[in-house]
Amino acid sequence: MRSTTNTIWAVFGLALILVLPAFAGGQWIKIFTSTTTFAMAAAGAGFLYTRLGMVSLVQVGLMGVGGWVTLRLNHAFNFPFEINLMVAGAVTMFLGNLIALPALRMRGLYLALITLMFAAGLDIVFTAKQFPNGAAGFWGVGTTFAADMRRPLLAQSDAAYLRYTMVWLVIGFVLIELHRRMAPGRAWALIRKSEAAALASGVNVTLYKTWAFGLSGLLAGLGGGLLAGSLGLLDSATFRASESVMLFALVIVGGARFWYGAVIAAVLFRVVPGLLNNWGVDADLSLVIFGAALLHAVMTAPDGLAGQINGAVRALIPGAKSDKKGAKA
Amino acid sequence: MISIENLTVRFGGVVALDHIGAEFSANVSGLIGPNGAGKTTTMNVISGFLDAHNGHVIVEGTDLVKLAPHKRVQWGLRRSFQKEQIANDLTVRENLMAITDHLRGARADKRADLERAAEFAGVTAILDKMGRDLNTFERRLTDVARCVIGHPKMIMFDEPAGGLTPEETERLGDLILGINDLTGAKVLVIDHDVELIERICAETLVLDFGKRVAFGPTSEVLRDPAVQAAYLGIEVEEEHA
Ligand SMILES: Nc1ncnc2c1ncn2[C@@H]1O[C@H](COP(=O)(O)OP(=O)(O)O)[C@@H](O)[C@H]1O
Ligand SMILES: [Mg+2]
Repeated sequence: MRSTTNTIWAVFGLALILVLPAFAGGQWIKIFTSTTTFAMAAAGAGFLYTRLGMVSLVQVGLMGVGGWVTLRLNHAFNFPFEINLMVAGAVTMFLGNLIALPALRMRGLYLALITLMFAAGLDIVFTAKQFPNGAAGFWGVGTTFAADMRRPLLAQSDAAYLRYTMVWLVIGFVLIELHRRMAPGRAWALIRKSEAAALASGVNVTLYKTWAFGLSGLLAGLGGGLLAGSLGLLDSATFRASESVMLFALVIVGGARFWYGAVIAAVLFRVVPGLLNNWGVDADLSLVIFGAALLHAVMTAPDGLAGQINGAVRALIPGAKSDKKGAKA
Repeated sequence: MISIENLTVRFGGVVALDHIGAEFSANVSGLIGPNGAGKTTTMNVISGFLDAHNGHVIVEGTDLVKLAPHKRVQWGLRRSFQKEQIANDLTVRENLMAITDHLRGARADKRADLERAAEFAGVTAILDKMGRDLNTFERRLTDVARCVIGHPKMIMFDEPAGGLTPEETERLGDLILGINDLTGAKVLVIDHDVELIERICAETLVLDFGKRVAFGPTSEVLRDPAVQAAYLGIEVEEEHA
């Protein structure tokens, strides 16, 4: 039954949240934290793709906005971390809504290109303005500056912060799953089938498309804010438009229909380059590996690695029925 | 009463509907004509997917042409498509809920309404089946359930019998005939199956090349020489699915 698989995943997730931060050492804690934040953005892109069939190539750019807002607020006011994070999420949600406007008229490749243009625009701004580090002024960038980044009270240490980020990721997954099970999820399924089908069912297509992009933007913004909290300083190179494209490709490789597809995507995105680095191999080799993986996914595994894992798990657990709905994506 | 007045639709230079007018007073009415006559276009304008260049569609005193497409559904318009549009990744129940989601009313009422519609269409047993797993007939039945849910005032079926066996078509015809008793809605049916139209539609409008060829009681209309002439072509170019 599906509940068996879900329980197994829930236990596995919980174990990971408890164990990983306790045992991962030094540099790896940071890598896992940033992996978790990118998984949030990947979850947003993945749900837009599987639920509405829309391609967003601006997720990492929106993470940058979330990070920028979080840093900006941190250095300007004395709000708790959570407030800064929420504002960051609200801002990227609003930007997501804006990006949805062209989505109302365009689809497929054209829409993907529009989102890529947004990403490129953000890229330019980040490169020109950099990220606030505590200096004076609106942009708040100083050359010798590095003011303190306040972390959540609950999560001062790196290990606690990793755990904290993982909890946010779970909240993100739950948010997506709740949407899928309720009116928006049904409306999105119809929109994906065809706009005519949606309109004939009384769906306000404009509203629900805007909503979907908003949710996806929210997840990216929260991810970016959490990344800012982890690192304290952000670099424009992290949020290049090409990174957004890469993350989307890995979402396909990971498998967008399943929630753990987003985790796989983020692990590939963050951990593989780190591993290659450790082994003394040029991290750019990861591009080649990812390219091959993407081809593999497109040609033979439409549900990505997550789909293959889901198949394997089902084969191992007798009675675990086909999880065709992609129950948690 | 469904009254279509002066409906005109153009695609660039092509006039797809040319000042069409008809007043349907029957509970179930037909809309027939050869391929490309403008039948689907008529339904698309009534649904609001296409803008009419000119004209009105007035049902129970409301001019549908003035409402946004999703508002027409809230008002009580339902339709099915020539190529069915059941969402594959939703169950039959979710496909039905997708309509009640956007209507006013208490949750319990909506649930009761859904059960009633499913019962009527005969899809109660498959409510938890995924859209992608449905066969052609089950899809059509789900379409019927979608159309009778949420107190509809006007329902349109675009070639509902396409791809069905004669027995299935008969069963579908019976269902369509029962809709008005169940909901009070007026029904408009497009189909190539003239026998079906003759059996269930009291009145029929015939289109050809976007023009009204005939309108009136179905048996009279089908005897009309102009209609028979328009239909000669259809034997050779049978409709795709
Ligand atoms: N969206 C559209 N754009 C351009 N032409 C269209 C469009 N929809 C329909 N047509 C044309 O309008 C005419 C009527 O089509 P339609 O209403 O689909 O016919 P049918 O009676 O077979 O349902 C056809 O010539 C068709 O090619
Ligand atoms: Mg047609």
